[in-house]
Amino acid sequence: MTKRNYATVNPCVMCQPMGSALAFRGIENTMVLYHGSQGCSTYMRLHLAHHFREPVDIASSALSEKGAVYGGRENLKKGLRNVINRYNPKVIGVATTCLAETIGDDVPAIIREFKEEEGLGDDPEKDIIIIPVSTPSYGESHVSGYIKALDAVVRKFAEKQEEQGKPEKPEKTEKAEKPERTKLSRGIEIMDYMESMEIMEYTEIMEKGKAEGTSLEAEGFDTKELAKGKLNVIPVESLSPADIRELKEILEIMAGEYVFMPDISETFDAPLREDLPRIAKGGTPLSEIADMPNSRASLGLGIVSKNLALEYLRKSHGVPGRNVPIPIGLSNTDSFFTELAHIFGCPIPEKYQRERGRLLDAMVDVHKYLYGVKAAVYGDPDLVFSLTTFMLELGMHPVLIATGSESRDFGKRIEQVFEEKPELKYSALDGIDFDSLNDAITECNPEILIGNSNGRYIAKARDIPLVRVGLPIHDRVGAQRILTVGYRGAMELLDRLTNAILEATDTFTAPVQVGSTAYTGKRIEEECVKGADE
Amino acid sequence: MKEKIEIVDTLEERKPYIARKQKKGQEIPLACDNNSLAGAISQRACVYSGARVILNPVTDAVHLVHGPIGCAGYTWDIRGAKSSGIETNRTSFSTDMKELDVVFGGEKKLSNAIDELVGLYRPPVIFVYSTCIVGIIGDDLESVCKTASQKHGIPVIPVKSEGFKGNKSDGYKAACDALKKLIRRPGEGEITKKSPRHPETIKSKINILGDFNVAGDVWLIKPLFEQMGIEVIVSMTGDSTANSISRAAEADLNLVQCSGSMTYLAKWMQREYRIPYLTVSFFGIEDISLALRKTADYFGSELMKEHAEKFLESEISRIMPEILRVKERVRGKKAAIYMGGPAKALTLIKGFSELGMEVVIIGTQTGKKEDYEQISYSVREGTVIVDDANPLELAELLVKQKADLMVAGVKERFIAYKLGVAFCDFNHDRVVEFEGFDGFVNFAREVDASINSPVWKAVRQRILKPEAKESEERSGRTKRPEVKEKIPGEPYAGEYKEITIGPGIEPDFLNPEPDTAVESQA
Repeated sequence: MTKRNYATVNPCVMCQPMGSALAFRGIENTMVLYHGSQGCSTYMRLHLAHHFREPVDIASSALSEKGAVYGGRENLKKGLRNVINRYNPKVIGVATTCLAETIGDDVPAIIREFKEEEGLGDDPEKDIIIIPVSTPSYGESHVSGYIKALDAVVRKFAEKQEEQGKPEKPEKTEKAEKPERTKLSRGIEIMDYMESMEIMEYTEIMEKGKAEGTSLEAEGFDTKELAKGKLNVIPVESLSPADIRELKEILEIMAGEYVFMPDISETFDAPLREDLPRIAKGGTPLSEIADMPNSRASLGLGIVSKNLALEYLRKSHGVPGRNVPIPIGLSNTDSFFTELAHIFGCPIPEKYQRERGRLLDAMVDVHKYLYGVKAAVYGDPDLVFSLTTFMLELGMHPVLIATGSESRDFGKRIEQVFEEKPELKYSALDGIDFDSLNDAITECNPEILIGNSNGRYIAKARDIPLVRVGLPIHDRVGAQRILTVGYRGAMELLDRLTNAILEATDTFTAPVQVGSTAYTGKRIEEECVKGADE
Repeated sequence: MKEKIEIVDTLEERKPYIARKQKKGQEIPLACDNNSLAGAISQRACVYSGARVILNPVTDAVHLVHGPIGCAGYTWDIRGAKSSGIETNRTSFSTDMKELDVVFGGEKKLSNAIDELVGLYRPPVIFVYSTCIVGIIGDDLESVCKTASQKHGIPVIPVKSEGFKGNKSDGYKAACDALKKLIRRPGEGEITKKSPRHPETIKSKINILGDFNVAGDVWLIKPLFEQMGIEVIVSMTGDSTANSISRAAEADLNLVQCSGSMTYLAKWMQREYRIPYLTVSFFGIEDISLALRKTADYFGSELMKEHAEKFLESEISRIMPEILRVKERVRGKKAAIYMGGPAKALTLIKGFSELGMEVVIIGTQTGKKEDYEQISYSVREGTVIVDDANPLELAELLVKQKADLMVAGVKERFIAYKLGVAFCDFNHDRVVEFEGFDGFVNFAREVDASINSPVWKAVRQRILKPEAKESEERSGRTKRPEVKEKIPGEPYAGEYKEITIGPGIEPDFLNPEPDTAVESQA
């Protein structure tokens, strides 16, 4: 095994500004401007265009040597002016790059100055909102860039509300006085329910949810009262446009009012229509973002990374918040639905009961092909977490679970997932690059890889299939349409996984033999060796 | 002559960079070769990017990026340059600078990383690229590289490519400066300068500068010279190695294809080693023929000329039926060209005319004054010439100039597609060769495939209106969608104009009938 301490070989993460662009793109009528050198915006546009196959316009303050020496103030202002002139956005997200951070530009101060000069106020109704976010490339990864940008957006709009005061919602300004509580038949109040969940581990939550059943109405809850107010849904990692469409559909059918932020379902997967807008249409409406502090609760998607926007809404505006895993796979989707059922106080619609049933049927159909198949999965922390739980549900053996982001909680969370299967050996790695991933893969010898396109070199070299999930996927079409969430997403993923295994084992001479040893002779040998050792 | 109507609606400061050729022999004073305008969304990258694309095809080098992870991540294996052997260049190496490195300096990490990579990969050369942040915190790359060079006995070459210190062209220069350090003076006893010798008896040697072997282009070019009895020492930098580059000074002649990036190196080699250079192109029948004839002329060998003519004749008659077949299918169509460098843009004008097509927009990211002079000389009246264009300008030009096809790179591809314009990638993303005779056939076929795909017919009707269908059918044609956009919202600081792209313009790409006016011109 090659041991490296200083050089990074084939990175498994992108830098922070990239993540901020993914987040800002999901906000209505928003442009992104990178405060830094011209290359940053061009490279990230290229990267995103490769993946989403959409035009991506990201502005740059195009700092030159002069700007780097004397400060980027004038360039940034000029950049803002030109972006406003050409694109007329409602929001401009200004993400810093390592250059701007290192020369020490005070971006919020420059923006204040700019707004004064241009006579821009702070009214989201008629003024252009400029949101700075500090995302130097040398800090953390694109995942943190995404989370920080969402946090900055929510804060900006919430601040506006605070400043202007919201007479119709006076209870929000006094945190001590909680909003009206709904009496539940069991005597728990909905806010208490939300808060008690806050501290529970998600496995407990799931069990509780299961024990309580899915239909609150059946148990005599006053669902009409429960359904008052919106639910904020905030992911910690960029989901595909298809995923977001699916989640929004679920939320709509569950009859709930919600704010999904950010929403790239249209902006990064735009239909070919009669017009070509300068800024892609869609995204989370600004009025809804402004209303997020008044929502009844927030649901964070992802439990490994900390959801800063959700935390902020909880701490500063008393919006109860809960984090659930990204709903990939059976149990994760179950807990997502259970959560919604509790929050919206409605039963699981028949449509989804049937979809769930179809997923169960599919899981039964493929269980022998997948049983014991050793898999390596890599990508963003929460995506990898959810994929791992799904693989375990299918009887697969995730031998290597890895993320390029550095994450304190990653190993701990994965450990929890494996608690139920103490017999399975695995290794969980964070902060890896593809070269160290390759070393780890050589050690544990998986039969299939699951992750983004950058693992293709390893898959090719080892002659094992790669099921593409995550970002970037630039060597195949359809990245924007890859569905992984919900019962339907689980089914699609299941089919892709199984078919990849079948494709790899298909000998064309006989019908594929079912069973755990069907994939390769390799495993039989290994097991024999293991048996001999024992 | 001052134009009455604006060519395209854009920022005041951008206007000098866009011009239309009005009449024959007209001189167009196009602004160019400046830093990109803040907020204008240039399609250009940075100095580092310029250096990286030039050097990246050196196959056996370790390309180590000294900087935060992004710079290395976005340039990992993006060039599409093929290798006939080792592929170290397809691996991404970075020092992945973190906050602490920025505060305390990254020299130590860099020198450790070099040691580590030498131990693991044993490369014959390491290129160490500096990025924005290195230029700010002031790591002394020169001295780290020098020390490492001495320690490991291989060239460890610093590439001065701080992203903000200029534009992409400055990156080309930084790359050439790095290549210079690899080129060795030919040893004693070898023939160095050879004008009066006998080319029939001694093999003539050339280098090809500015061919990056994207999709394997160089492999179609080398045989053209080999059949003339000419040895190609190295192609810079497509499919090159540290060793082949080091022998470059043994050549009798340099052929420069990508002039924007490599003329600087060619001029240096002329001064330093007295190797003259010729500017050529290996794209399109006319330019390939010219390249071979010019080379044969230079060496002055009758035998060589004879070989070249014979070869050209057989190759042209081999591919001509296919070219003519395609020409029938694309004749009269209008092309838009937006390239990184001017050399490719210029040669494409000829290539399109060989296919019976006309160029209506031509632009580059890094063209210089003399390049644009040459371009304006080569294009027809009415063609729009643009430097450092941005997406909005390109979109509007595609519509206004009624382009049927765009040739550019990935970022431009989706602009064209959204507007219903066919597209051909002549950048890093293509997977087939476009150079040489077979390459030109590939190009012609791709142009044909994109222009004549039935999807454009489907795209013409963008909204399904069942009730309107009958009456439209009766009137004999379907309604054409408009490509327009109104900027919504209140005017800000009183500066906005209402921007409408092409009211009343019916984009030609939406028109099923061939443009007869153009056909008669051609």
